[in-house]
Amino acid sequence: MIKTKQADLSRRKFLATTGAAGVATLASPAILRAAGSPIKIGMPTILSGRVAILGETASVGAKMAVDTFNAAGGIDGRMVELVIRDSKGKPDEAAKVTRDLLSSDGCALILNGEASGGTFAVHEVVRDTKTYCMHTISETSALTADPANRAPWVFRSARQGIHDAISGGLYASQLAKAGATRWATCSPDYAYGRDTTAEFMEFLAVFAPEVELVGETWPKIFQPDYTENITNLLNFAPDALYSCLWGGDLVAFFDQSSLYGLFDQFQTVAVNMGDVPVLEAIKNLPSGIHSGNRYHKDIPDTDANEAWNTSFRESGQLPTNWAWQTYTGAQFVLEALKETKGETGHEKLADATRGRTIDSPFGVNGTVTLREADNTLVDYAIGYGQTVSEAPHMEGFQPTGWDVIADHEADWMKRKNYL
Amino acid sequence: MLNIDALMNCFGNSACLVTQSATGLIIGMLLFLVASGVTLIFGVLHVVNFAHGAFYMIGAYAAYSAYGVTGNYYLSVLAGAVAAAIVGVLFERLAISRVYKENLLMQLLVCYAFVLICDDAVKIIWGAEYLAMGIPSEFRVPPLRIAGGVVPPFYLFLAGSALAVAILSVILIRYSRFGKIVRAAAENATMVSVLGIRVPLYFAALFGLGCALAGMAGALAAPVRSLTPGMGLSILIESFIVTVIGGMGSIPGALLAAILLGFTRSFGSVGFPLFVDGAMFLMMVVILVFRPQGLLGERMVR
Amino acid sequence: MNLAHPFVRAAGLALVCFVLLIVLALVYPGTWLLDTLTGLFASGLLVMSLHLLVGYTGLVSFGHAAYFASGGYIFGMFLQTPDIVAAFGAWSVPVATLLALLGTGLFALVVGLICARLSEIYFAFLTLAFQMLLVSVIQGLVQYTGGDQGLMGGIPRPEFLGLDMVQVKDRFVFSAFLFLAGVLVIRLVTLSSLGATLRMVRDNEVRTAFLGVNTYRVKVLAFTIAGAVAGLGGVILAILTSAAYPEWAGWAVSGEAIFTIMLGGLHSFYGPLVGVVVMRFINDVTLIYTTHTDLAKGVAILFVVLVLRRGILDWIIDLRAARRGRKEDDNVSRALSKAGKEAEDAAS
Repeated sequence: MIKTKQADLSRRKFLATTGAAGVATLASPAILRAAGSPIKIGMPTILSGRVAILGETASVGAKMAVDTFNAAGGIDGRMVELVIRDSKGKPDEAAKVTRDLLSSDGCALILNGEASGGTFAVHEVVRDTKTYCMHTISETSALTADPANRAPWVFRSARQGIHDAISGGLYASQLAKAGATRWATCSPDYAYGRDTTAEFMEFLAVFAPEVELVGETWPKIFQPDYTENITNLLNFAPDALYSCLWGGDLVAFFDQSSLYGLFDQFQTVAVNMGDVPVLEAIKNLPSGIHSGNRYHKDIPDTDANEAWNTSFRESGQLPTNWAWQTYTGAQFVLEALKETKGETGHEKLADATRGRTIDSPFGVNGTVTLREADNTLVDYAIGYGQTVSEAPHMEGFQPTGWDVIADHEADWMKRKNYL
Repeated sequence: MLNIDALMNCFGNSACLVTQSATGLIIGMLLFLVASGVTLIFGVLHVVNFAHGAFYMIGAYAAYSAYGVTGNYYLSVLAGAVAAAIVGVLFERLAISRVYKENLLMQLLVCYAFVLICDDAVKIIWGAEYLAMGIPSEFRVPPLRIAGGVVPPFYLFLAGSALAVAILSVILIRYSRFGKIVRAAAENATMVSVLGIRVPLYFAALFGLGCALAGMAGALAAPVRSLTPGMGLSILIESFIVTVIGGMGSIPGALLAAILLGFTRSFGSVGFPLFVDGAMFLMMVVILVFRPQGLLGERMVR
Repeated sequence: MNLAHPFVRAAGLALVCFVLLIVLALVYPGTWLLDTLTGLFASGLLVMSLHLLVGYTGLVSFGHAAYFASGGYIFGMFLQTPDIVAAFGAWSVPVATLLALLGTGLFALVVGLICARLSEIYFAFLTLAFQMLLVSVIQGLVQYTGGDQGLMGGIPRPEFLGLDMVQVKDRFVFSAFLFLAGVLVIRLVTLSSLGATLRMVRDNEVRTAFLGVNTYRVKVLAFTIAGAVAGLGGVILAILTSAAYPEWAGWAVSGEAIFTIMLGGLHSFYGPLVGVVVMRFINDVTLIYTTHTDLAKGVAILFVVLVLRRGILDWIIDLRAARRGRKEDDNVSRALSKAGKEAEDAAS
């Protein structure tokens, strides 16, 4: 258990400042009890292994939200405590850790910081045990879109793959109209990579029917050497390449591809290129790579976002897409807890969460909403732009309107028989 | 699953043929460098070094740090090899040497423990984030075109140095005084020590040499890999496949198997992209069943 | 029928344990201990069955997790087929369990027939290769196995004999039954003449062959039994998590199982179980203070291998034997125990 040190400090500070004035109020037994026992939120996430950066930045995001909440007085003086556990990125371990958080650590609800594989494991546990849960990382569309997976007390504060696919397809169709009709893909060979790539190509075809898929290559996740995939791409000789490789894999693929001069030969759309650690890890970042926004301090270009970026970097970590999603998830959970006055019954909390809109540095209009129909996040900043070699590494950002996304998402759900 | 047309097209097209063959050799050479360390240690000391991937990782991280300080790629490769050798000698003296006489299980456990400790230590020292060293400026040049095929100069350098170093170490073991003493000591340690030679030091040096090969491979490849704790695992698995297919203890066997594997990867990704990994394991199964000593290995007596 | 005695005793012990565990389930108010024990039952069967190979037959298998995963997958895939569940109704779970046991046994038999021809390191590598092959197959057949995401959407487990696998207590009781049945099978094997033959193979395969024993056949038999019991462990985990994942067949699971045996004690029947509990303890306790569980595990392994030089239970037994030896004045009995120990040492 990594208790948030800052949370303890701020709790102590809070008690010190209010303590003297509040002796009379504290004497009342109900409040004494309330102030004495913090509400525990369990957070399974990945803190070791190759994607430890996911859990580390997500934890910082969650702690930021909880610390701010506690410093502002919590729920009428009752504090919230975050209990973070490492699942090592294994789905079965994620299920076990979640059960332990609920049964032995006394956590009343789950703020899930697992990647897609682990998320489905956690999802089974919270459905089985009827526990209120906020998924904050998994972008897999089926998690909330497929009615078979839905549970009314489970939410998602992350991007949804299909939103990115619509945005990306729309953006890439401009490249197709400009002549790039022969496309190839190079994405990691696991569920996220396959689904995301299929969804992107599906919408690219919707917006630009003339596009043709000339070849695909599927490196394994965490593959160290992409040489055979790169030379295969050379053989396909496409006009444009789509890839949803991410993190360290994307960095390695990029460095290795530049040896073959790959990016001089065709346009590249790499949705996860815009993640801050990737942009900062790649030395000599080439210009003109098309990418989604992930997290960026200038998207949306507001003071609130800039301030969040500055305060996040004080942790010593770089702000990631995972970080803002978990921060947002924690905000929703805390707002809901405030409304139920600290009651943690799954139905009560779910009613307080469903359809809620909160102020957010990441919203297109300063707010984000958990959509009532399918418990998933909407109205966050979404769109595509191009890399430039100097900081802030991104320019020409084209946001996608949420009315456009909603229309195409509805069509997609009909095609999938999800409605 | 099978795409024979694409494979045949590739064979009929000089650009594709050259590119994919070069790819096979490049992948193979780097594998060979790592695997030659495994097979060297096994061949002489009869220890299966399951911790070999950790030394690959140590080499890469040490090179990363050295490159940050010196900005010189060649010095950082040297630093990677030296760092791996030092840690290797320490590991041999403190842990492995105590289980030379124990069974395979004990050796496996000590190595397993070492890998766990190393991965966490790297995380504590360098952080859990992936690191990228970046390609040295002298290699940031357009790729060569050979008969329509594409070959990056950096990979030519990589493959060349890997081959050269591995061959040098074979010569060292076969023909130098050092090599002769170590091999004699492995046969009969008591006899050699009676001659006034400090056998444990020679064993430690040989173990260090094997680790240095892994460390150098890690350092050589560092510019085009993302460095993460646990990066040694996949390279460990592949180098074991190479070692087993080539024959435990046989360096020419490792060379042959590494090239075989390299070509399986490069042409497999054209002809049967979804079964490349499966094909490698299948090759290992077939070899173990029909020729357990490997392609060029000698039959071991128990 | 002089063999009947230890057999009956072993069965009696298993029955007593079962009753005690049922009582525990009835009186324990919470869920934590029961779920934790259920998880331990699953890993317990994995290591106990591997112990039959490593400790009793001298076959170091690096790929034992393959059978563990196979059990979980057969169980899960069977129950995820709606038509089959409709056909078997309330008998679905027992039938699926039996099928997982037999299917995994068959799989282990086939692999065993190929692997048992080799010895030592080659045997280890070949079992490892089959395990990797299974992982590639699971990840490749996405439409049947869910690929890298595992069997998603939960495994339906219809009620049977009044037991509902969604309820913690019911799940615990059924898992305890499977666990004790699996351990009993292994215990009976080690007590039987087959067990004696296995120990002979371990100590000297060539001499055993001279005695007219078909050692190949004996090894295949041990491999098959061990595989089937490991599959039962996978069934328990599939019941607990309502899913199955390709990681279950990973090299890490096999490696950890071997380490668990060494940690607990290679030369005692219950050593691996001690290992499972200690391992879980190290993992959970270090997780409370740090995320560096690997460091803690690594140091623990080095301590056991380099300082104790044997597993925990072996170490305790040796310690007790040494103490008893000092107390006893009777020269004869000391000589006897010494001879016994020498024989044991020679055996290991």
